[in-house]
Amino acid sequence: MSAAARVTEPVITAAASPRSRSRVLAFGVTLMFVAVAGQLINLALRHEGASTIRVSMMSTPSGTLARPDIVDRNGRLLATDVQMPSLYADPLMIQDADEAAEQLATLFPGLNVRELRRNLADRTRRFVWVRRGLSPGMAQRVHNLGIPGLLFVDEIRRTYPAGRLGGHILGRVDIDNRGVAGVERYIDEIGASEAAFGARLSARAPVRLSLDVAVMHALDEELAGAMTRYEAAGAAGLVLDVRTGEVVASVSRPGVDPAIAEEALDPARIDKVVAGTYELGSIVKLVTVALALEGGKSLESMVDTTQPLKAGRFTIEDLHPLGRPMTVGEVFVHSSNVGAGQLALSAGLEAQKAFFQKLGLWGPMRTEVSPGTEPQKPAQIGRIEQITLAFGHGMAVTPIQFAAAAAALVNGGTAVAPTFLARDAAVPPAKGRRLVSPRTSALLRDIMRRNVTDPVGTGRRADVAGFEVGGKTGTAEMAVSGGYRKKAVLASFLATFPASNPSFLTLVMLFEPKGQDVTAGEITAGRNAAPTTARLIERVAPLLGVPAKLL
Amino acid sequence: MRIVNIAALLLALASAFLLYGLNYDTRMIESRLQSREREAERARADIAVLRAERAHLARPERIEPLARGLGLEPLAARHLIPGAGVAAHGITTSSTGQ
Repeated sequence: MSAAARVTEPVITAAASPRSRSRVLAFGVTLMFVAVAGQLINLALRHEGASTIRVSMMSTPSGTLARPDIVDRNGRLLATDVQMPSLYADPLMIQDADEAAEQLATLFPGLNVRELRRNLADRTRRFVWVRRGLSPGMAQRVHNLGIPGLLFVDEIRRTYPAGRLGGHILGRVDIDNRGVAGVERYIDEIGASEAAFGARLSARAPVRLSLDVAVMHALDEELAGAMTRYEAAGAAGLVLDVRTGEVVASVSRPGVDPAIAEEALDPARIDKVVAGTYELGSIVKLVTVALALEGGKSLESMVDTTQPLKAGRFTIEDLHPLGRPMTVGEVFVHSSNVGAGQLALSAGLEAQKAFFQKLGLWGPMRTEVSPGTEPQKPAQIGRIEQITLAFGHGMAVTPIQFAAAAAALVNGGTAVAPTFLARDAAVPPAKGRRLVSPRTSALLRDIMRRNVTDPVGTGRRADVAGFEVGGKTGTAEMAVSGGYRKKAVLASFLATFPASNPSFLTLVMLFEPKGQDVTAGEITAGRNAAPTTARLIERVAPLLGVPAKLL
Repeated sequence: MRIVNIAALLLALASAFLLYGLNYDTRMIESRLQSREREAERARADIAVLRAERAHLARPERIEPLARGLGLEPLAARHLIPGAGVAAHGITTSSTGQ
């Protein structure tokens, strides 16, 4: 450096010398450059920009949910999300609100023109929904109107490709794609749906139901056919796996289309399998006979059925009294009300009530699609209630609940919890709680089979060659306020197959069937529900993989 | 000292250019990535629509009349023969599985 500096060198300390000062300066500058470079690298490599954008998107509130697909047990699509354009208007950009509303009304017949005109004329607003979820073709036609201020935004909409098939179970979603009923509601409850930002479709795994579309369709068709044949007002049916509790098919007619909210809210279209409660009639004798067998009786034990049963001012009689004592087996096969009543009376009030409770018939039964409906039970149980409960009157339960109890009675005696979700096939089914002894279960299967093979059995028209059908008929007079309607019955048939080692249980219910030539004018279940069950089982057993026993 | 300064300056300049270049490339790649993601999103949306349409067209309600029109009918017990009888009927089972 300079000479002057060198002169002062001895006086000034080393740290303060100009040379070291410039060195410090250079070092400082370098350090700053390094810091700047480091920050640049940091910014370039860590995508800070992208995450800031995402945060700003998160802060925009969006009510719409992206939902996972719903598929049947074989992966066939039942419900899926698609992107659809939704039409909105920016009133500030609309030049002639009246004309715009007029033109839109020609495209959308259901549109409330007055309200739309008022909304479009409201210059304080910048956003007015016109119609949500348009088809691409409709969006093009709106576009072709060439009205400025009409804009589109992509939204997620739920579609149900199978239409009414499974509509009751799928439930439905609201305008923001939130589940409000059925499996759709369940999906939200377990948190399988997620908030949809920018109309992004859900990437989550589909929800696999226990339903089989092919079996559902077969059941639906057979019920429709039966409604036509027997001029029934309604019909419902169920196919249940008696070991796992999986509901393979559940159909209630008239059905609902999940895309049409009015249908789901129509009381006439209630799900008769899961939500409706009914007095099921004689199929409940299965429970009464089970109670007697559990109490130590055998199918050959004698029951006094010679006299009508008296309880207060009521008299219980049989339709076709034999006029002699019957065995427990005959009570079942001849569907004797007197016999069933006697069996209940001999078991005792407490035992009967406890048995209903044990089978889950005393309280609501929860499934994925419904919190369950509370059964209608008699307020007090005396002698008459004891007798009527024994043959399925005076108490109304949901059919799926009864099917679950019946499944437990025939599957070897262990509890079954019906589910609408497919089970993981890799996991062996957990054994349910034991409800009745294997002996009772075997005897019930035996007597159900005998009811179909016996030439006088009420279920003889349900037989299907090769599939060993066993079952029980039930013809219940339908309750109206203040009594029963004589000619309006609920005809049902509960069946299991193959009876020697059941895999499945079916329940067919026909509401208010009429007497026809083919039924010899009768409206009893043996004439309508039983043959319908035969047609059903013949058709679905191959689909369910039940091997036919061929001669 | 001067050499050190010049070297530092050059180094700083060089790293600045390098970083600018890197940053620019990153932005390019990011925007390409975004457009690819948009394409993928569009493709996913199209797939969803097509799957829904296919499921709608393959719904049993529509297939059944078509199948019956072709002379097909639901499988029933009378269509089945015991395993021992297969050979007698001269039917090979090779293509009927699953």
